[in-house]
Amino acid sequence: MKQFGTILKFELKGYLRNKVFVGITIFLVLAIAVVMFIPNIIAAFDSDEGTDTVPTDRPVMLIYAEDEALASLVSTYFEASFPEYEVKIANGGIDELKGEITSGEAECAFAMSSPASYTYYVNNLSMYDSNMAVADTVLQEVFRIGAMVENGIAPDVAGEILSVQIESQSETLGKDQMQNFFYTYIMIFALYMVILLYGQMVATNVATEKSSRAMEVLVTSAKPTSMMFGKVLASCIAGFSQLVLVFGTAILLYNVNKEALSNPLISSIFDIPVELFLYLILFFVLGFLIYAFMFGAIGSTASKLEDINTSVMPITFLFIIAFMVVMFSMGSGSVDNLAMLVCSYVPFTSPMAMFTRICMSTVPWYEILISVSILVASTLGIGILAAKIYRVGVLLYGTPPKLGAILKTVFKKQ
Amino acid sequence: MVLELKSIDKSFGEKEVLKGVSFTAEGGKAFGLLGRNGAGKTTSIRILMNVFPANGGEVLIDGKPIDYDKIGIGYLPEERGLYPKKIIIDQLCYFAELKGMSPKDAVKAVDYWLARLGMTEYRNKRLDTLSKGNQQKIQLITALAHNPNIIILDEPFSGLDPVNAMLLKDVVKEEIAKGKIVLFSSHQMSYIEEFCDSIAILSAGRVAISGDLHEIKRTYPRDKLVVSTVSPDGIVADFGDACTLREDGTLLIKLTSPDEKQAVMKRLVEGYDIDEVKVFEPSLNDIFVEYAGKQI
Repeated sequence: MKQFGTILKFELKGYLRNKVFVGITIFLVLAIAVVMFIPNIIAAFDSDEGTDTVPTDRPVMLIYAEDEALASLVSTYFEASFPEYEVKIANGGIDELKGEITSGEAECAFAMSSPASYTYYVNNLSMYDSNMAVADTVLQEVFRIGAMVENGIAPDVAGEILSVQIESQSETLGKDQMQNFFYTYIMIFALYMVILLYGQMVATNVATEKSSRAMEVLVTSAKPTSMMFGKVLASCIAGFSQLVLVFGTAILLYNVNKEALSNPLISSIFDIPVELFLYLILFFVLGFLIYAFMFGAIGSTASKLEDINTSVMPITFLFIIAFMVVMFSMGSGSVDNLAMLVCSYVPFTSPMAMFTRICMSTVPWYEILISVSILVASTLGIGILAAKIYRVGVLLYGTPPKLGAILKTVFKKQ
Repeated sequence: MVLELKSIDKSFGEKEVLKGVSFTAEGGKAFGLLGRNGAGKTTSIRILMNVFPANGGEVLIDGKPIDYDKIGIGYLPEERGLYPKKIIIDQLCYFAELKGMSPKDAVKAVDYWLARLGMTEYRNKRLDTLSKGNQQKIQLITALAHNPNIIILDEPFSGLDPVNAMLLKDVVKEEIAKGKIVLFSSHQMSYIEEFCDSIAILSAGRVAISGDLHEIKRTYPRDKLVVSTVSPDGIVADFGDACTLREDGTLLIKLTSPDEKQAVMKRLVEGYDIDEVKVFEPSLNDIFVEYAGKQI
């Protein structure tokens, strides 16, 4: 136990003295601070410019129709519906109209062949061009009002019929996926980044000790279990404090800045229920540990640092698959599908899968209990197994041995 | 204090690395563990240090199974290396603390040894800024700082210049004088011969020979004489086939029986211009080649 403390202290000191680690943490905290103050910065610039924000140089939208009455009717409606454009009636024919668009004099044009059909001309069609959708709605309304008036309904009555508003309210009895989506997404992503990053660090750390032969003295000085648990817990504490610093800064600045950040999306990220926050910590710690142990064991079988990248590939794949399943399920909106159900009990995937389900769906307490129990037991098991692999692995040099061969050696010793 | 390894067996998978290895090392004396590459020296040392358990046999201190919580062991591995990027005082204290010292005592002990080896100026430097020989001296501190009862030095002299080698010899002599068990493993026979009172030669996982070095030498038949002379020609003619010229220019005369010794010596001294004549004793090198050479 004393050795474990010594190792933990030494490893933590190593992280705190690591310039890259400290640098990245400071950078992330500063970046978060800047992001959180962006609304204030924008507001500061806006107030300088004053309130006179009528755009003077609007792009031109041309309306063309052979029937002049139709052209002027459409342009009247379009002027109201496209305030960002200067709506003009085209004077020439179709070819002239095309010429004006390609030369850049006009940005787009609607050539009406009848009240209910048109061709849209634009030079480069942007991904976000919604002009056609807006035009469709407007033209539909124009057509309907026209038709109603023809059938003897007064124009104002027709307008009222078309513009009737439906009043609605929604009440969520379980979880509101829309609201939970963003912070679940952010947390899953943070979990993913931190586990991969620190897992690699643990593996590299072990392999460095081996390749520098510091291991020769270490194995004779400390128990492999203490070494493994000391290293992994140190990286867990380092990773966790980095997260706490970054997210803590974000939460602190959000509260300081609450008025400027009144965007509902941003507030949905920060309004995390305490209960979910505790689950996050639980799954983060367990998920981190189970992967860090595996990374550490793999690191101990590599003789050179170069071997690390290929050796850790299977674990990285396993992890990425878990991440993908979760991300796709979140995107599809059904977090309780079969893949997620299975993943939420498998110890290597449950930290992400079960956490997502808890956030975005309603999971009975016993399912959570079963999942967490499996995870805790597996973490301990993997930890002890990793320490045993470590003990065998650290004294082997040369080609990294196959996992099967190592496990055979480990179990034969029992 | 007496350290005893008793019929230690060890195999890795199918491969039997140690087959009934036994030897005894006493406190206040240096012990030489010899053997060719792959003979099982490092494995024996690792079992002694409890890095992995033996398949059979025991490690005893004064006749009782060794208690690793009470008996401190210091180890200088043949494969040298510590943390290249870390501050020297930090890592030395780390190793001393791992061996059970309190942080305060660790700093004190490490500072003492840095001063003793003339390395105080490097105290707060990174290890990789030091020369190879100096890194080796730093590594030696990891074996000595926690004041162990047993000190194991694997090829301690390799890579040291003569001045540093002298310093190391003095340090080792001090430790021996304190009554500690010092275990040497080396291929440099001259150092072993200089330090070690007893030896064990491992060959293919077995102890080929072990015991007091002088006694081992005495077991060789005393039926050869070594003669130093400036004019060997007459002697060569006189003794014929029994006389051979050795590489160092001395003559080796084989006697028909050890009883002849006095008579032949008298004949040589009276008949020729002789600088020195003595009974041939095999060097450790000769013994090593004879016992360890058989291993394939």
